Amino acid sequence: MFEVPSLSDLNVGATLPVTLLALGACVLLVVDLFIPRERKSITAWLTAIGIGVSLVFSLLSLSGAVEFGSGELAFSDMYRADRLTDTINVAALITALLGVMVAYDYLERTRLQRGEYYILLMFSAAGAMLMGAANDLVIVFIALELLSIPLYILSGFRRPQEASEESAMKYFLLGAFASGFLIYGIALIYGATGTTNLPEVWDAVAGVVAEDSAAKFLVMIGAGLVLAGLGFKVAAVPFHMWTPDVYQGAPTPVVAYMSVAAKIGGFAALVRVFGMGLSTFVLESGAPAAWQDTIWLVAVLTMLLGNVVAIVQSDLKRLLAYSTIAHAGYILIAVAAAGTAGLEDTAAQAVVIYLIAYAFTNAGAFAVITAMEKDDASNTSLDALRGLASRCPWLAAAMAVFMLSLTGIPLTAGFVGKWFVFKVALQADLVAAAVVGVLTSAVSAYYYLRVVWMMYFEEGEGDAATPPALAWAIGVAAVGTLVLGALPYLLSDMAREITLAFGG
Amino acid sequence: MEDISLVTVVFMLPLVGVLPLLFVRSLSEHTMKWLTLTVSLVTFGLSLLLLYNFDTRVAGLQMVQKWDWISSDSFTIRYYVGVDGISIWLVLLTTFIMPISILASFEPIKDRVRLYYIFMLLMEWAMIGVFVAQDLFLFYVFWEVTLIPMYFLIGIWGSEDRIYAAIKFFLYTMAGSLLMLLAILWLGNEAGTFSLPEIFAKLNSGELSFSPSTERWLFLAFAIAFAIKVPMWPLHSWLPDAHVQAPTAGSVILAGVLLKMGTYGFVRFNLPLFPEASETFAPYIALLAVIGIIYGAWVSYGQDNVKKLVAYSSISHLGFVMLGIFALNSSGIQGGILQMVNHGISTGGLFLMVGMLYERRHTKMMNAFGGIWRAMPLFSGLSLVIVLSSMGLPGLNGFVGEFTILLGSAGSQVLSLWFTVAAAVGIILAAVYMLYMFNTVYMGELDKEENKRLPDLNWQELWSLIPIVIMVFAIGLQAGFFFNYMDSSVRDLVQYLGDTITAAAGR
Amino acid sequence: MLSEYAPIAALLVISVGMGILILFISRIFGPFRPTARKLAPYESGMEPFGPAIRRIPVKFYRVAVLFILFDIEVIFFLPWAVVFRDLGSYGLVTMGVFFFVLTVGFIYEWKVGGLEWE
Repeated sequence: MFEVPSLSDLNVGATLPVTLLALGACVLLVVDLFIPRERKSITAWLTAIGIGVSLVFSLLSLSGAVEFGSGELAFSDMYRADRLTDTINVAALITALLGVMVAYDYLERTRLQRGEYYILLMFSAAGAMLMGAANDLVIVFIALELLSIPLYILSGFRRPQEASEESAMKYFLLGAFASGFLIYGIALIYGATGTTNLPEVWDAVAGVVAEDSAAKFLVMIGAGLVLAGLGFKVAAVPFHMWTPDVYQGAPTPVVAYMSVAAKIGGFAALVRVFGMGLSTFVLESGAPAAWQDTIWLVAVLTMLLGNVVAIVQSDLKRLLAYSTIAHAGYILIAVAAAGTAGLEDTAAQAVVIYLIAYAFTNAGAFAVITAMEKDDASNTSLDALRGLASRCPWLAAAMAVFMLSLTGIPLTAGFVGKWFVFKVALQADLVAAAVVGVLTSAVSAYYYLRVVWMMYFEEGEGDAATPPALAWAIGVAAVGTLVLGALPYLLSDMAREITLAFGG
Repeated sequence: MEDISLVTVVFMLPLVGVLPLLFVRSLSEHTMKWLTLTVSLVTFGLSLLLLYNFDTRVAGLQMVQKWDWISSDSFTIRYYVGVDGISIWLVLLTTFIMPISILASFEPIKDRVRLYYIFMLLMEWAMIGVFVAQDLFLFYVFWEVTLIPMYFLIGIWGSEDRIYAAIKFFLYTMAGSLLMLLAILWLGNEAGTFSLPEIFAKLNSGELSFSPSTERWLFLAFAIAFAIKVPMWPLHSWLPDAHVQAPTAGSVILAGVLLKMGTYGFVRFNLPLFPEASETFAPYIALLAVIGIIYGAWVSYGQDNVKKLVAYSSISHLGFVMLGIFALNSSGIQGGILQMVNHGISTGGLFLMVGMLYERRHTKMMNAFGGIWRAMPLFSGLSLVIVLSSMGLPGLNGFVGEFTILLGSAGSQVLSLWFTVAAAVGIILAAVYMLYMFNTVYMGELDKEENKRLPDLNWQELWSLIPIVIMVFAIGLQAGFFFNYMDSSVRDLVQYLGDTITAAAGR
Repeated sequence: MLSEYAPIAALLVISVGMGILILFISRIFGPFRPTARKLAPYESGMEPFGPAIRRIPVKFYRVAVLFILFDIEVIFFLPWAVVFRDLGSYGLVTMGVFFFVLTVGFIYEWKVGGLEWE
């Protein structure tokens, strides 16, 4: 007979950051109805405050100063509030905050100023946070939907502009397809193990492997399908086809947010599912997990395709879209490293470090494009950058910092991310993946430097407008990129205590 | 709070100098120039103090500063700086070259002045960082960071093909150094620390050891990064482009200091970390070095562009340095280190000369000149000293370095005598192309109308050449003073190499 | 492990078999007097043939979507209502949260004019 839990068993306190954010979004949805169209800055401020409050709680929880709730598990073992959750929360919330700041003036000047924008953004941030906290495959799925559906709508926010509508449609259809893969994969894993709870899956998979039953194939196919579903979200090859079109068509501030948030959520879930749930899935004892080879091959393909195709792009948004594909590849190397027994924690740390570094850098880069973009969505080509350095020296300097960080030049956050990713890759003996990683980094230097050379070495009419909120966003992102690069211990100390839980 | 080491002060001063340039909006161009020059002169002064405080009897690091930067359960990364006999002269070379190239930029650089001097100081900061870093992470950071200011210096203030040259320079160096990054990570994972002295200690105590094949792979990963930077034949093709397109000060820094980072890397990392692999690869590297010597000299002779001639001569000269280092004995390495300094001074001087000619005539073609001596006697006299020093005339600095290197390679146990013979041919070739250049540009009839009224040196130019000429004579006549500083460290290194190689042979 | 699914497989076979069986039984035993109208595939007043893509006012879809939302609400409420005494305060609060979310959606929908036909 089902035993009724008591309310205190739910341990709502442990989920405070995400609960507050979701609750705030619900309340704001109603409040916003009573705010007149011309005063939507109130909604923007309220959103920022909501995200800020949640961020403060996450940081408090991260610093260990205050302990929220009792214990790590909440909602009948569905939610896990550990260090990984805290760091993913911080990353997602910072991205959301930058997203609000980048969007405000853009929405104002393109006359798209509607409260729904901010509320959808809050919901999707809550989804990304939940993915990092998932202790159960069902939560992974629900969180994925909570993250994705607002993003589908946001991509089409520039209705009735055709490119924006097309991007939303494409993203929605392919996204729904990917969700199907994910849920089918979850079903197969459930079929093989009899549970969706990740630590229990861990135990059960060990059992399945030990008795060598036919259920092993179910796990294998299930893991493959889950990889496909989540691979779609993080834009890994061969599930990347939507990325360039969607990123080019969607409103630029949306891209600034979603290119990072979707990755944060997707990779957090990959770490949870593969690092935590399926790390016992070894085909012969002592070998690394069976999915390791698949993931690093996917990583290699992703890095090669993303970097090589980015070289020939002439549109800045499209170029950065391919660059996001390439970066998914780098992070996937770390995910693959989690397949080696004993390295799960180190790999998770590398993933988190890379994600936080990437959040500042990539959101900043798209923020600069937002500043350049004209009201009719033009002026985002590489040529539009010509001479930007003499007209907007600080903006160009910020963009140069972002580009160097994406290349992985030291003293920027991007280098710190790559350092930890390659380090764990070598520890896991994934030498081939690491070598491809560094060589493609050298390739990527070409197209990132092309952005810098357009700004600094060419003469031209490059121009941009930086209203206060946007300027702050770019400033925060640039300073964040440099500070995290110069003081890498900020990142490594934050991530150091990330440990994944195994076994039920 | 522990004391701040003098090394840290010298290292961080240029960075501090960047701050007013970055944030004070009201500075006039004049103030910016003088501010930058002052910062670099003070840095030079403090680095002389470094020399004064240096204890020549100590082989290990001195004036060390060590702070934890990233610490974790399984590894530590430190801010770890210090100087020893190998790096002290290179630090001084950097601080010596910088004021000169800043002074030489006063006239030629007219637009985006603020940005220019910011990059100059960043450049100095990063280069000193490379030479003082004793932690692999720290070293790699500055190794890469030097690329950025140089990329901008070439790309913004260079001549016609500057963009192509800037990109080529950046990509070449970066592609090589990324493999080094993997090797560094591998070493760090194995050793549990990225601090060089600790890794040496672990290697010495046998706590850390590599299989011969791993050692060779690691050696190659480091060697490719350094060989591109040196540059060694056949990885040199970025160098003529970068040199020819860079502004004068950029070329001076490139030739004077940046190339030394490569050769320094071999001495600092490859030899002591992988002694057995060094011995295995020594003949091959020496072969490439000798090819570089002859090839560089040969191609120099065929140039009609003065700047290109000087650029190719660098390949030849750096070949000598490499040959000396891979002689793997005391005189070879000492000669190599001294030759790094010599080359920095002489070739820096040559590039300054080319820059001064270019400022006057806006061409670098040799046939546009001729008989300059009559129009500009002072300039030509100083030029002659520098040209002779680059050729290796006895009594000047080049001779001491090259002679010691040849002495080392002739006495080397790992290299055959033919390398020395071939290198000696290179010296003769050097005399040929240098004198050919001097003859075409400075001597002969002053037959071109536009050359007749060329003004002689102004005070900035004079003061940027004089220190170089002084150093040419100082090293040439008092080489013992310079060798004295590196003696203990190099002897220690050679001792260690010898021991390990003998031990390996005995196994 | 897979054998645990045997009852499901049995159920599948039986239900499919039953469906086919009933079709045939009615065909055999039922009266059969066809007319042109009766043979048409769909007899509820719709024109069975015509262009595949026809314009239907988007309002219908909106109403349909809203209907599904509130329909699901009922589906969740019903089982809770059956055992709400056993679930006690825990059930009340969780259902309250569910109801809160739905109400927020409802208010939003109402205010933005989602419920108006014109």
